[in-house]
Amino acid sequence: MTTRRLFLKSSGLAMFGIGATPAWLSRALYAADAPSPRKKILVAIFQRGAMDGLNVVVPFGEKRYYSLRPNLAIPKPNGTPDSAIDLDGFFGLHPALSPLKSIYDEGKLAIIHAVGSPDPTRSHFDAQDYMESGTPGRKATSDGWLNRALPSEKQISPVRAVSMGTALPRALRGHNEAVAIANLNDFQIRDTRGADSFEAMYQSTIDQVLNGAGRETFEAVKLMQSIQSQPYTPTGNVRYPNGKLGQSLMQIARLIKANVGLEVAFTDLGGWDTHVNEVAAKPTQGQLANLLTEFGGALSAFYHDLGDRMADVCVVSMSEFGRTARENGSRGTDHGHANVMFALGGGVRGGKIHGDWPGLEQEQLYEQRDLQLTTDFRDVLGELVTRHLGNTQLKSVFPEYTNAKFRGILSV
Amino acid sequence: MADFWYNHFNVFMEKGADRVLTGIYEREAIRPHVFGKFRDLLEATASSPAMLFYLDNWQSVSPERAQQQAPLLRQIGKQRAKRLSAEQQAKQQARQAKQQARGLNENYARELMELHTLGVDGGYTQKDIVEVARCFTGWTIFEPRLGGDFYYNDRVHDKGEKIVLGVKIPAGGGKDDAEKVLDILARHPNTARFISTKLAKKFVADDPPPALIERMAKTFHDSDGDIRAVMGTMLESKEFFSAGAFRAKVKTPLEMIVSAVRATGAQVDYAMPLGNQIAQLGQPLYRKQEPTGYSSANAEWVNSAALLARMNFAIALADNRVPGVKVDTERFRVDPAEAARQLLFREATKETIASINNALMQKEPTSALVAGLVLGSPDFQRR
Repeated sequence: MTTRRLFLKSSGLAMFGIGATPAWLSRALYAADAPSPRKKILVAIFQRGAMDGLNVVVPFGEKRYYSLRPNLAIPKPNGTPDSAIDLDGFFGLHPALSPLKSIYDEGKLAIIHAVGSPDPTRSHFDAQDYMESGTPGRKATSDGWLNRALPSEKQISPVRAVSMGTALPRALRGHNEAVAIANLNDFQIRDTRGADSFEAMYQSTIDQVLNGAGRETFEAVKLMQSIQSQPYTPTGNVRYPNGKLGQSLMQIARLIKANVGLEVAFTDLGGWDTHVNEVAAKPTQGQLANLLTEFGGALSAFYHDLGDRMADVCVVSMSEFGRTARENGSRGTDHGHANVMFALGGGVRGGKIHGDWPGLEQEQLYEQRDLQLTTDFRDVLGELVTRHLGNTQLKSVFPEYTNAKFRGILSV
Repeated sequence: MADFWYNHFNVFMEKGADRVLTGIYEREAIRPHVFGKFRDLLEATASSPAMLFYLDNWQSVSPERAQQQAPLLRQIGKQRAKRLSAEQQAKQQARQAKQQARGLNENYARELMELHTLGVDGGYTQKDIVEVARCFTGWTIFEPRLGGDFYYNDRVHDKGEKIVLGVKIPAGGGKDDAEKVLDILARHPNTARFISTKLAKKFVADDPPPALIERMAKTFHDSDGDIRAVMGTMLESKEFFSAGAFRAKVKTPLEMIVSAVRATGAQVDYAMPLGNQIAQLGQPLYRKQEPTGYSSANAEWVNSAALLARMNFAIALADNRVPGVKVDTERFRVDPAEAARQLLFREATKETIASINNALMQKEPTSALVAGLVLGSPDFQRR
């Protein structure tokens, strides 16, 4: 494994130019000689559009699952690729998630079922907003939970909080520095003649909004130069899927391995709003299966690419709400309530479905139509923020959230 | 305004038949009404194949009536099948199998109230969403995969009584049920306020003065949703010309690129590369997947990747390196202050001019580089 000292020697930090190494970085790197623990990293994945959790982690032990979804239900595990993958005799994984099974068996993948936001809204817009702000029911919140989750530090990296994409998501907005990066290699002023001038302009402008964003941008540009100077090869023969999520996670892995001070990362994948043709000819095929193939493949590639480094990393996935327990008239499902979250990492107490199962009988459904919520998404994120990132100021990360009920997703 | 209203009634071009329907949608449903009556605009979008397909209403049918119709549909199918090849028949049967199990779809009904008219806090309930969806059953598309037209199918319309926002819509209605819904929504006070707020956020400031919104909403109400009149109230207001509204908005990627192309007097031979640039800056045109459309808030556009993309585009454009676009680099002045006047149509800030001067001191500045720096400057990002 690469140590910080080795990184300092080998990664061409000379790219910064003599004497131009940012002060925070030299401090951070040399501090490796002191017995300070390596920073923990939290990666959040947002599945936009409301994933159908009941077809992702399938309650095949529940008879009513099959009567509610005559055309959509994933068949009980029978060893073929057209059936669920048995996890514990009651729940099974969608077969498109087969790459995750071995990680689950290693105890590094935890699943939380019947989890979500307690707010009753079925609007994508509101529900995503609430989940990203971390304040269900409160629209006035201006910053995001992942930004607030950053522990306060004296020495910080300009790329401590990164979102993969061209726009900074709601979850990462806030007073802590955060940057949006579409592609690590493109993150530069291409015409070197203009670089200095632009930097000076944005440094000196009295336009406060553009001044702040400009400073963050140019600090991050300098740091990226050290990464851009070397091509990236994932460990072993790991191949990331070509879609957006695979490519984003590959770049996050690259940032993690470069030891540039990343603490939180965010990426998202849309298309989960499967009102129509969620499944194709077979229930194990179709739109949802395609998305899960990318999702499972990307997570598995990330996990194996980082190898031992996963000890410091935790990945968590979320989606704004679940979908109706009953299938609709167009081989799809409509907006529902509770859903499924995944947590993946070295410190995760995995190989287990966490949370209480509320059942699918009519009287057990939320508003008689959706999976009932038994775990608040902040129970999951709160535990990761507190015990993984080490930020104990949970009140400021999730204001108005009082009855924290951690599920024991982490083994530490 | 076309940009504003398309974005308000957003349709995602990558969804199936919307690949072909989106162009027609902007041309025929949006553009004719951008300064017209809101009710007409609402009707045009509600009945457009693009919207019916995007928000799934074309598949929404009354579950009971669909069941009654199934044998009849099969009959029609059989008659048609005689003229088709075996392969076509197989496809047809697969499609029919899907259609037989159709039912009510709430998607359009929800977004109609949340995003198009009342706003998310507009005072409707889940029950209202279901009732509106029932009113819209039968509003569908003729041969959607072939880019067909709007078509009202009475056979799948829910004939029962509905109550929408407390207003009774009697049993036995038809296409009119949805027209009544559009009447209720277009004339609702919350719609007046929601639309006025959104316009003011787009054209005045992220946080527009409540008094201005109230006056715009009143005009909206008094003029029966005359968009031109509402814009008039906004443009003639003292708030619009106040210091707080002066250059309060960061240009969206579309606005930045279009204004740069106009300012440089560029000749656009082929627009696709510019479309790709707009996407690079974070706003792929016609490709916002969520029905919300893009936010007009400054925070949406001010971030590192997008800022870098703006600066890179600025240099490339002024240096005549954007494909499909021709710029006469000779026409720019080498002196930064003069170049800024040419491109900004006003004085640049002294900080910007000083930065350009300092950076270029040791170099041999070209007029193209100076122009690129002005277009990428903080000054040019505001409107």
